[in-house]
Amino acid sequence: MTTKGCKELVSEVIETRLCALCGACTGNCPYLTYYKGRITLLDNCSRTDEAQCYEYCPRTYTDMNAISQKIFGTPYGENEIGTVKDVFMARATDNRIKKKAQYGGAVTALLSLALTEGVIDGAVLTKTSDDKSPAPFLAQSVDDVLKCAGSSYMACPVLGRYNQIPKDDSSKLGIVAMPCQVLSVAKMKTVPPANRVSIGNVDMVIGLFCTWALSPDTFYQFLKENLDLSKVKKFDIPPPPANRFDVYTASGKTSFPLEQIRKHTMLACSHCLDMTSEFADISVGSVEGTEGWNTVIVRTDAGADLMQRAKRKGKLQIDKLPESNLEHLKEAALLKKKRALNEIVKRSGDKKNLLYLSLSSQLTKKLLA
Amino acid sequence: MANIEINAPGTSQLFIGNEAIARGALEAGIGFAAAYPGTPSSEILGSLAQVAKKMGIYAEWSINEMVAMEAAAGASFAGIRALAAMKQNGINVVSDFLANLVMSGTGKGGLVLVSCDDPSAISSSNEQDTRPIAKWLDIPLVEPGDFQEAKDMTKWLFDLAEELGTLCILRSVTRIAHARGNVKLGELPTKQHKAHFDQIHDLKNVMPTTFMPLPSSLRHFFLHMKLDKAREKFESSPFNRYVGPDKADLLIITGGSCWLYSQDAIEALKLRDRVGILKLGTLWPLPERFVTEHLNKSDKVLFVEEIDPFLERSVMELAGNFPPNALRPTFYGKRSGHINAYGELNPDMVIKAVSTILGLTYQARDVAYSKKSEALVKSTVPERSMTFCAGCPHRATFWAIKNALKLDGRDGFVTGDIGCYSLALGPAGFFQVRTMHCMGGGAGVANGLGKLGQFGFDQPVIAVVGDSTFYHATIPALINGIYNQSKFILVILDNSATAMTGFQPHPGTGMTAMGEPTKAVSMEALCHALGAHVEVCDPFDLKGTTATLLKMMAEDSGAKVAIMRRQCELIRAKKEKSPYNVRVDVEKCIGEDCGCDRLCTRIFLCPGLVWDKKAGKSRIDEVICSGCGVCVDVCPQGAIIREAA
Repeated sequence: MTTKGCKELVSEVIETRLCALCGACTGNCPYLTYYKGRITLLDNCSRTDEAQCYEYCPRTYTDMNAISQKIFGTPYGENEIGTVKDVFMARATDNRIKKKAQYGGAVTALLSLALTEGVIDGAVLTKTSDDKSPAPFLAQSVDDVLKCAGSSYMACPVLGRYNQIPKDDSSKLGIVAMPCQVLSVAKMKTVPPANRVSIGNVDMVIGLFCTWALSPDTFYQFLKENLDLSKVKKFDIPPPPANRFDVYTASGKTSFPLEQIRKHTMLACSHCLDMTSEFADISVGSVEGTEGWNTVIVRTDAGADLMQRAKRKGKLQIDKLPESNLEHLKEAALLKKKRALNEIVKRSGDKKNLLYLSLSSQLTKKLLA
Repeated sequence: MANIEINAPGTSQLFIGNEAIARGALEAGIGFAAAYPGTPSSEILGSLAQVAKKMGIYAEWSINEMVAMEAAAGASFAGIRALAAMKQNGINVVSDFLANLVMSGTGKGGLVLVSCDDPSAISSSNEQDTRPIAKWLDIPLVEPGDFQEAKDMTKWLFDLAEELGTLCILRSVTRIAHARGNVKLGELPTKQHKAHFDQIHDLKNVMPTTFMPLPSSLRHFFLHMKLDKAREKFESSPFNRYVGPDKADLLIITGGSCWLYSQDAIEALKLRDRVGILKLGTLWPLPERFVTEHLNKSDKVLFVEEIDPFLERSVMELAGNFPPNALRPTFYGKRSGHINAYGELNPDMVIKAVSTILGLTYQARDVAYSKKSEALVKSTVPERSMTFCAGCPHRATFWAIKNALKLDGRDGFVTGDIGCYSLALGPAGFFQVRTMHCMGGGAGVANGLGKLGQFGFDQPVIAVVGDSTFYHATIPALINGIYNQSKFILVILDNSATAMTGFQPHPGTGMTAMGEPTKAVSMEALCHALGAHVEVCDPFDLKGTTATLLKMMAEDSGAKVAIMRRQCELIRAKKEKSPYNVRVDVEKCIGEDCGCDRLCTRIFLCPGLVWDKKAGKSRIDEVICSGCGVCVDVCPQGAIIREAA
């Protein structure tokens, strides 16, 4: 257990802008609160001996080997896209899902199935609020899940909603999360938290691919200044080489050059090595060059089981991911690792000081080369 | 409160100093009394208002001290003896009027101002001394040394004020105002009051005139004539006296409650044969001949007085005019460091000063005994800091303000004001209040801060005022903010009473000092009429109040008003039962564990919640808990339960 608390969380993570707004420190803590794109410390907490805010933050000390050992039973390896059981490309078969989905609708299809089949009783997701800002949401039905389809590309403190679930609740849970959030959940699974709902209830973690997220503070302001947010129907970043951010409204599409949008990416994201949510049960992303499909990485037995069900029930149309796409995905994932590690070392000023990460020296050397 | 109107001349009654002053005013035949409440002065008007109907007089709580004094002057102009009462801060509010009133002179009805000072600022923002003000106003000031004098002096002062045609001040201090002693009653007048404003009145045998300070030089000259007349009367006043040997080793010059401390000190030191006390009751103008005579009593003089060295400087000034070869005693006091230059005095301090000057050693009791008794007292007193009452709406309001300012994230802050809510300087209000000066001052300061946008200032500013303070002195600041488009939120803590001084009614309450129903002045109607954006919140709705404040802070427009409406818990509790039974579910309470760290007893700090260290749980102190239920919404674990009582 760490000997640090919220003061250190503020000074080491929040004030240094390493905070990814995952929400892990909020929800069951009366001191740390998420509001409009920022984590705020309302009052000082005196806990330092077992402060879980610090413990489960994905930007505080993270022992990758210990976590990998816990989730996969093996030390953290060198695969660019993490531990893999299987890789597919897939898309939902349900038209209702297809219509709303960002890409292939795989996440929505998998979650809907997990809920219907009783694999989970509820799932913590991101929902676009009426004001078009992203907000955590506990979905308890397929209809709920459908309401959450689509992305705003802004960070959302999903784990705060998980932390709010009463600790005596025994419902089985799914979480759809970004890599930073998946890492936090993995930390929780490695050393289970006290005084909140059991992490053992989390039976399905669906991780999303992520290169960076936009700030729900400055990017939201940017959108508000440039659009009538009440008319927005969907946000989209089409795969390269489109290089734009599209906003669909009732009256049509407004596009912003990606360069203009990138200013609003979270600084934290440039210090993150994980593109593919390496500690999830299943990771899902787009497929470069193929619209309407998802890349799906199956990592755990629980993940494989759900994929099997989806296949059996015909909820997903599944195909082999072309080799070139897989290679490209690995390249991109490796690039993110290299960039991030260099960024971390630049900040720490010492190749041996990886701020929050604990990696083998061999891997460090390889990534910094 | 005592029966100050009891018609039993010659009998003794137990009065606090303020009641003695009120009785003195009744015996003097006042017809009009006005005041703004302020500790330690509030019981003067409070006790007069209670008997006003029966005694055929008029008494009011005025909107502020200025209006109280002006209203009393109006009565005086129409021939009615009138009294205005206030605490020391009130003198500042009224000083502009006073500086002109002394020039115009008063009317046929004697006019007396009672100012109660608060040495050590026990219930005040400062410990200002009223006495020097008499000096710059050129008007007489007297100070009673005990309860009997408080009554007798007040009665006598009306005669003097009427005879001179000038305002006179009676100064009192907390330990006279609020201590209790026997007072032998005098006759109550039976004369009926008849008011009439004479268009041209006789300026005290000088010239026919109107009530105005012009021509000022001439008026100033007349004022000095009045002062000379007062000084002449003071030379033989029975309120000044010397007790002690003809030739003393030390002469103490003192007045007011310090006279009592001096007597105690001399008694304790058994120095009655060696130390004389010159007790002065008429402090300004100084009875110079009387004082000079007694300065011969000793070659050592100690001034025992609280707050400013008023007597010390006045007597030294006098000594400065002695002929070159005259003997001058050695002066001890605040200047020499023998008496504290600030704060209240007590007999121990006087004992120490006298012992030092005369080279004596004095030990009241042995040190071990002192320590033992201190420990015993401490063991029986519960550990509690200065805080809001259980169920106080202010705690809820400041909780919402704290959270709103933190969530807003622009380093916003609160400019404070005078009232119970001044406690928000400390843990009771989560250290939210960052400035605090005078009534209305917080809103005024916010006006300036709210105009600094052009210099890069982006911190939200919240000015908090109580409801009574709003009417008293905040309305001009709000108008200024609206007129000049200053960006701040005026939060009015409307607990429907002047709570801190004892729940006196004010213009918003629909009740007069004399208990008559009256037209209530609606603060939101007033603010709306001024063009302010007005929100009314229930501070017990922590979430809603926080959200409203956040929304208002995000707005760009000028001065806005948020009214926090909840009756003072002490008033509510007198009328009805607790709304909720509140208890702690010990299963759910996680105490100091991560996820709480005892938020309720470490940060929220309602005295109704106590930390059971042994059990590692919070619990409700059922004696203190008012059943407001606000803590239920504070507890992060849902461990505090409220059930309808």
